[in-house]
Amino acid sequence: MAVIIISSNSLPKAAQIAAETAKALNYRCLGRELLREVGEKYGVSEERLHKTLDELPSLLGVNAKAHALYLAYIEEAVLAKLSQDRVVCHGLAAHLYVRGVSHAFKVRVLADPSELIRSIMREKDLSPEKAAKDAKHEEALRSRWSLDDYRVDEAAPSLYDLIIDLSRMVPEEARMAPGEAVRIIMETSSHPKFKPMTYSVKAVNDMELASRVRVALLEHFPDVIVQADGAAVVVETTAVPREKGKKVEAIEKLVRSVPGVGHVEVHVANDIIRQAAESFR
Amino acid sequence: MANQLQLLILDDEPIVGKRLAPALNKLGCEIETFEDPERALKRIAEKEFHIVVTDVRMENIDGLQVLEKVLAQSPRTKVIMITGYATMEIAREALAKGAFDFIAKPFTPGDLRKIVAEAAKAVGFSLKYDAEAA
Repeated sequence: MAVIIISSNSLPKAAQIAAETAKALNYRCLGRELLREVGEKYGVSEERLHKTLDELPSLLGVNAKAHALYLAYIEEAVLAKLSQDRVVCHGLAAHLYVRGVSHAFKVRVLADPSELIRSIMREKDLSPEKAAKDAKHEEALRSRWSLDDYRVDEAAPSLYDLIIDLSRMVPEEARMAPGEAVRIIMETSSHPKFKPMTYSVKAVNDMELASRVRVALLEHFPDVIVQADGAAVVVETTAVPREKGKKVEAIEKLVRSVPGVGHVEVHVANDIIRQAAESFR
Repeated sequence: MANQLQLLILDDEPIVGKRLAPALNKLGCEIETFEDPERALKRIAEKEFHIVVTDVRMENIDGLQVLEKVLAQSPRTKVIMITGYATMEIAREALAKGAFDFIAKPFTPGDLRKIVAEAAKAVGFSLKYDAEAA
């Protein structure tokens, strides 16, 4: 299934362009409205899921453990949709976790800075100077958020197949209206190299299964790394030697309960830090 | 082209051709297997195949070069790329150059049968592919 992922330094701009692109291509548009579905499924408020995507973990907001768990819920929901539908996705950080999928066409839309500042002034009732400062702060926050959670700066051009700088659009009207950006996205994404193929469809299916396994494990085992290949799942974790057997057994049991899992391997490395801490007691 | 589906398998690992040929035979196609890309290309110059299944990484001539040569000679031929060294970049390059599909090793013979059946359909053959049996 073909996938277009749109990221932007302006969430409303990404939403607008994604909606228009989806409409023009007759694809499903997948955005923040998915958070309601995720919230209902896991009993988390939509507000906390929005905060997870917009803010760094904090004691007063969403703490680090919940932040990681909610991100896993969101990834699971997004990947399930991407594996079933022709989708234009925005606002769900998919550009950061959908990796190595040749039919996922990733676009970065850079909003016109003057328009961005004007929209912040309107939205937050700020002076031009304060709005400019706010835009800069938001950009730095996004970079830190993406680096903390996915070890990649979402502003890095190498992450994308296409970058559209709206401030350079000609004629000037194109900077405001999404039409020209949509045309460029449609034209570029139609290149044969972005077509789904057996390899790339499998990559999405593997990621989708791994995301479901992670959700099943994260609450009890927050340190796990999960990979899937077909129906085979590999879980990496750490443990002190005396707990290794029990942990492997518990993880295997949970993983086997996930539909689609055929084979499980749990690789356990020594938890050196805990081991050292315990040896000093 | 012949009435029976003509298929060529090229992989420098002999075991691949040996395993895949009988599996694809079940679809009722006529198969020739090669381990040497140069010999395969020579054969392709003599005979038009409906489907070519080729490994990507081979010595002297790689699968992407084979793909280009096959399509230059016979644009109707569907080329399926198989590789144990799949990356997103190579996959995209293969599709950009006109590959019909790209699949990473290891795969089951059933996986390839499914792709071959789709490629056969694209060139006007209806093969008896049983998804359940695959």
